[in-house]
Amino acid sequence: MDFCDRAARARLKARAHTTVLAAAALAGVLVYPMLAKAAPAVGTVAPDFALKDLSGRNQRLSEFRGEAVVLTFWASYCGPCRSALQSAGAAVADRDAPAVALGVSLDRDNDRAASVAGSLGLSYPSLLDAGQSVGRLYDVQHLPLTLLIDRTGTVRQIWASEPVPAEVLIQHIRELDP
Amino acid sequence: MKTTVPRRLPRRGWQLFAASALLILCAALLGNRADATEAAAGVRTVDQDVQALKKELVDLNRDLFRLEEELLYPASTQVAVFLSLNVGTFFALDSVRLELDGKEVSNYLYTEREVAALHRGGVQKLYLGNLKAGEHELVAVFTGKGPHDRDYRRGTTVKFEKAIGAKYVELRITDRDSALQPEFAVRQWE
Repeated sequence: MDFCDRAARARLKARAHTTVLAAAALAGVLVYPMLAKAAPAVGTVAPDFALKDLSGRNQRLSEFRGEAVVLTFWASYCGPCRSALQSAGAAVADRDAPAVALGVSLDRDNDRAASVAGSLGLSYPSLLDAGQSVGRLYDVQHLPLTLLIDRTGTVRQIWASEPVPAEVLIQHIRELDP
Repeated sequence: MKTTVPRRLPRRGWQLFAASALLILCAALLGNRADATEAAAGVRTVDQDVQALKKELVDLNRDLFRLEEELLYPASTQVAVFLSLNVGTFFALDSVRLELDGKEVSNYLYTEREVAALHRGGVQKLYLGNLKAGEHELVAVFTGKGPHDRDYRRGTTVKFEKAIGAKYVELRITDRDSALQPEFAVRQWE
């Protein structure tokens, strides 16, 4: 009789443990997506950040609201990035495609970033992300990474791994809502 | 021989014709005007509706924001750190790093526009978080350009007691004219 009681109690305990574990797993599955910071996708608001540019001025992305922004992540060791940076510069220079360009260098060495930006003669701000905090925020997996952000701060296009031709950028900028 | 005399309307006929034409013209004008007034009223009503809807949306957004803040940061554990600038002739603010109990909670870079807003009297909510009741230590490290445009970095440490209610801490950058140096003051509110 006593043995039966003990067995029933053990079964009950095991069932309670299983229930608690299942509840914890379910909570984890439900809560994780809410806590995990997702990389910006097309249609989502571009995460705000502030970085120093090569001239030492602090630039904040949200201060460009009201203008279309071509945001290019690059590094000095990435060959195609140079072409992506030049494309962005050429696109925003087009009068019919009103936009500003921002480059974010993920180089840990700011001097190397400055050297590349200087050699390319970039006419737009090159921001320095030596700590790669913004790179993590945007989940940069492949370089170059180019994002087209509209006037409301929403990501409208993303191009990864390859430079976008200036004409394609211009076309997409023109298609944005006025 | 029969001669033809040009037919002329009698004077009274002319008067009647002119009066009718004038009446028709007036009626047409009045009709147009009424249509325009109606259209304008319609547009105004739609515009008012849109404005009212916008206001409702703003109010709803504000309420949601408040609710979110109350849920995430209940008054019993809430700690908020504010930053203000008074004059700031001897210090050009570049960034503020904030540590609470040895843990970095904020590292904020200021753009020129933000510094200008602070100069105009703006107060920035630098950090909002939760802390349990008891003694805590806050370290604020200010970097920027000091007197004679030299790089300037200075830290301020404050120990505070967190009670049951919300805690507000204000970091205030002022000018100390006598020493021609900036001064970093900390004020606390319960």
